[in-house]
Amino acid sequence: MSSLTPAESEYVTLESSDGFQFVIHREVAMLSGTVKNMLSSPGHFTESMEGVIQFRDIKAIILEKVCKYWYYKARHLNSVTEIPHFEIEPEYALETLMAADFLDT
Amino acid sequence: MSRRNRGNAGGTYVNNVRGPTSALTSFLNERGIRRANPAPAPPPENVADNGDDNNEEPASPQDQAAPSSSSSTPAPASSSSRLTRTARLTRGRALPTPSTSASRSNELDGVNDDSDSDDSDSDDSDSDNKNLIPIAVSTSTTRAVRATRSRVAAVASSSSSSNTVASSSAPSSTAKAKAAAAAASKKRPRKKDASDDSDDEDFHDITGHISRSNFSHKGRIPQGSNKIVFCSRCRARFTIKAGTTPAVDEDDGGLLCPSCAGTGSPGPLKNTLPKAKPVKRARRKAQKAEIECHIPTLQDLCIQKIANSIEDVEAFGDISDISLDKICKIISRNRSLNAETLQLFLDARHSELILYDCTDITAIGLQNIAQFCPNLRSLKLKLCGRITNEVMDYYTEHLTKLASLTLIGPILILEHTYIKLFETIGTRFEKFELKGSSRFSLKAIKALCDNCPNITHLRLGDCNLMDDEWLEPIAGLTKLKSLRIRNPEPDKLTTSAVVKLVQAVGSGLEELELKGCNGLTDEVLVDAIRPSCVRVERLNLSGCEDLTTEGVETLFKDWSVNSGLTYINLENCVMLKDEALMAVTEHSGATLEELNLSGMDEITKDALQTLTRCGLKIVGREGDYVDLRFM
Repeated sequence: MSSLTPAESEYVTLESSDGFQFVIHREVAMLSGTVKNMLSSPGHFTESMEGVIQFRDIKAIILEKVCKYWYYKARHLNSVTEIPHFEIEPEYALETLMAADFLDT
Repeated sequence: MSRRNRGNAGGTYVNNVRGPTSALTSFLNERGIRRANPAPAPPPENVADNGDDNNEEPASPQDQAAPSSSSSTPAPASSSSRLTRTARLTRGRALPTPSTSASRSNELDGVNDDSDSDDSDSDDSDSDNKNLIPIAVSTSTTRAVRATRSRVAAVASSSSSSNTVASSSAPSSTAKAKAAAAAASKKRPRKKDASDDSDDEDFHDITGHISRSNFSHKGRIPQGSNKIVFCSRCRARFTIKAGTTPAVDEDDGGLLCPSCAGTGSPGPLKNTLPKAKPVKRARRKAQKAEIECHIPTLQDLCIQKIANSIEDVEAFGDISDISLDKICKIISRNRSLNAETLQLFLDARHSELILYDCTDITAIGLQNIAQFCPNLRSLKLKLCGRITNEVMDYYTEHLTKLASLTLIGPILILEHTYIKLFETIGTRFEKFELKGSSRFSLKAIKALCDNCPNITHLRLGDCNLMDDEWLEPIAGLTKLKSLRIRNPEPDKLTTSAVVKLVQAVGSGLEELELKGCNGLTDEVLVDAIRPSCVRVERLNLSGCEDLTTEGVETLFKDWSVNSGLTYINLENCVMLKDEALMAVTEHSGATLEELNLSGMDEITKDALQTLTRCGLKIVGREGDYVDLRFM
């Protein structure tokens, strides 16, 4: 276990509305403008200090999709080879769109 | 490939790159006829040929793979079926040997000219391409799909800055490099499978020195051809300019692309602009980094998915109206609201429709609104510059339940169309909002007031022709509850006319807005609002710079007939001092929910302390209720 404080830890936790927790790399989560602001705001907010963000409007399945997208983006960001397509199931497309809009990603 | 025909409704796409077209060209394009390379043969001939070639060509490309004679290729190049062009590009890619370079170069030229032939109007192409690029971003997904069009895309993207032909002319290398890099970054998802960004690089370098003023159709295609070859080391595709020698790999004698050949010393580019190159290189490397970072955002991906699956509405499941509205906002914000994504919001059950950005919805798309939602009671179209008189007439006829209409920016609609609308809707009409029309005339407003006596909400903003004469018929609307007049031309509305209007309708008004009506004096407050506006709850006098403290004081002091306002906006009423604010809080403090004091710099903290008397309402709700900007 890392001995870093939660504020500096390599991982952050995102919690969905239905109580699922997603522990992902901090760098990856920073691909979202909203999360970046939450985690790096200068004030003493719980989010930036604990490294935990709760999303009360985003369901787990959508949040999972978003995390997958972030990893997909981080993986292929500077790639010169062909980038595979990121598939989104149509039944989740609308909610994912709203979540993506909120998260500025 | 599958994307090719999407979005063709009302627009013209050549390989998914939309250039400006004349009516003739778009007519031909719809029939699959593309203007071919004009250099080897004059356009009329090609047009005549194309009808036949369209059918023959798909079978022939493979036969033409081997021969490298340039004479054979202009003929197929002159055929303009998209399939052929794509097939030839594919073929070009598959055969990287220099022996077929001549044919490929003509392909390239053919390709160039196909896209160029659409750039017939230099003024249009810039704006069209600029408009095009965001659409392209949001609708592009698989790079394989776009792979075959990368050359055209790169060509068109570099032309977006130059307004003219792609490969052989551009104003300045820097402007072009920037614009092309920006455009190429948008088109990045379309890049070929194994290709490198060196493609773009080479393109810019090749054409850097030809300025727009020297442009000529003849000079467009450099004689002796640009060769498309593959780097033997990194397998990237790049172009060798005519007359220059590429770097050669010592080991296997193959050609090297500039990046493999070594940084800062691109072999093929030795003959062009040696001074400008190092600067270009550095800048381009930075832009290259930008380009390579471009992965579509999750929002774009979702919107594309939605647009693709639009047929399958059940796949989306049940969406609440609130969510649907939110999605409409998001899609509008991403500038992706077009004829296809629009389908998501059209449903016969809907009685209300708000479209936040109709810039990309063509006239046909707008007409579809009436076709799919005949039961609309309320329609709000923002930024609907494309709505035509025909569409408006269609609405007039078919939207038989329409009671509320908002049009923001309908620049094409003429006076008689409005009049027809009002005459038809008649007593059904309750709410009308119009912003940004310089054709809405006195006759139209008279027609409105004569035919639609039941109007309760009337909002007119940015109507250039508005003047005092308009206010008379409006005064005849007895049922008016909300009146908003915004930003008339300076000094066209006089205080006395406004006073008369407010005195006439004021007693029923719940909301009064006179935003931007500079030139209005205290008379409005004292002689009109004070006696007449007994029921008013929302008052917006922003931009009325001539209102004085005394006037406001007189209005609010002991204004007993009015039981208190909930919304007061005094933005930019710069002359108002403390006493004004104190009078306001004294009168409406208990009921006030929103207060805008932005721009009132004479106010001191003494007056602001009176805000504490405003009771809990002003801080109780969420959001920004006391606007104290610029104070």
